[in-house]
Amino acid sequence: MSCSPFDLRDYYFKDLAENERRLTEVHVKTCAHCREELDRLRGTETALLALPDEEIPQRIGFVSDPVFEASPFRRGWDALWGSAARLGFASAAMLSAALVVFSLTRPVPQAYAPAPAMTSAAMQAAMQTEVSKRLNDAVAQAVAASEARQARQTQDLLAASDRRHALETQAMMVRVQEYLEVEKKHLNTLILASNDAGGGNGEVR
Amino acid sequence: MIFRAVEDADLIRKARRGDVEAYNLLISRWERRVYNYLLRIVANREDALDLSQDVFLKAYQNLRKLDDPARFAPWLYRIAHNEAYSLFRKRRPEGETEELQPETLEGAATVGGNAVFPVELTLAVSSALRKLTADQRETVILKIYQGFKFEEIAEIVAAPVSTVKSRLYTALDLLKTELAPVKAPIKARGVT
Repeated sequence: MSCSPFDLRDYYFKDLAENERRLTEVHVKTCAHCREELDRLRGTETALLALPDEEIPQRIGFVSDPVFEASPFRRGWDALWGSAARLGFASAAMLSAALVVFSLTRPVPQAYAPAPAMTSAAMQAAMQTEVSKRLNDAVAQAVAASEARQARQTQDLLAASDRRHALETQAMMVRVQEYLEVEKKHLNTLILASNDAGGGNGEVR
Repeated sequence: MIFRAVEDADLIRKARRGDVEAYNLLISRWERRVYNYLLRIVANREDALDLSQDVFLKAYQNLRKLDDPARFAPWLYRIAHNEAYSLFRKRRPEGETEELQPETLEGAATVGGNAVFPVELTLAVSSALRKLTADQRETVILKIYQGFKFEEIAEIVAAPVSTVKSRLYTALDLLKTELAPVKAPIKARGVT
């Protein structure tokens, strides 16, 4: 069992990230057990490499045979699509062709038909008519509202006046009553005085 | 005049346009590696050679489907992987999981007639590899012998990277045990 911070076999096959490799390297320098493990791995690899490559007994090669050759069309097609620059050019050419076809075949747009020209005088007259109509309507509405408001105010004033008149009448009646009472008393006084002077009993009731 | 190395991508572009000679040059760069990959999987030289030819023919026919020429190697090995497993299925129609019993590749002990490793070591390695499952062995071959990255192996065998790692590490544990007895005397003889 290895005590290395990372798998020693990954370290041996250089499959660790740089920081992991450095940490493992530091550990291996101080750990005899891990060094032995690495030596065993190295020894196994060396033993495996004792089995050398063999020479191929017969060289492999192909001859240019028309049977295996691509047709000229195919070669041209492959050459076209085998290059990014050519592919770009072909795409641009197709796009241009599509634009030309579209511009030639699209339906002709209908010409814009302007409204029948009106004379400026007629237009001005129509505008004036419309403006005066709207102005009259607005004025009529404002007048009606004002009249209604004034009618309400008049009614209020009349009601107030009636109430004041009634109060004044009532006050005047009270004053007349008082006056009559005073006159009556004065008359009685006069009568009494006359009676005292003439001996008659002419009291007013 | 400027000289520059002809990249695989240049050859692929030419081959796509029907340049057979460019494709032959591409084959010459890869045929030995593909042959040895197949040889270690199918463990039969004739089958490995036939499959190699099929692989390069299919690759030529499908070269236009290769999106990124920089990914040619994993793409080519994916075809080789499919061809090898197609052969397994043909030979094992009843669906057995283990592959054919491979022939012993004694010749692997020499390269160009010169002994490079002791015969007992190459035999021990061949024997140890045979004890792995087909998936484990293929992963070891792609990683140790062919030097692919884990992501590339995952693309070739159509499996997640975690599965690839698991197969490789399990296989290495087994191989470590199997090869331990022969590694010590070899070290003692100065072969590392």
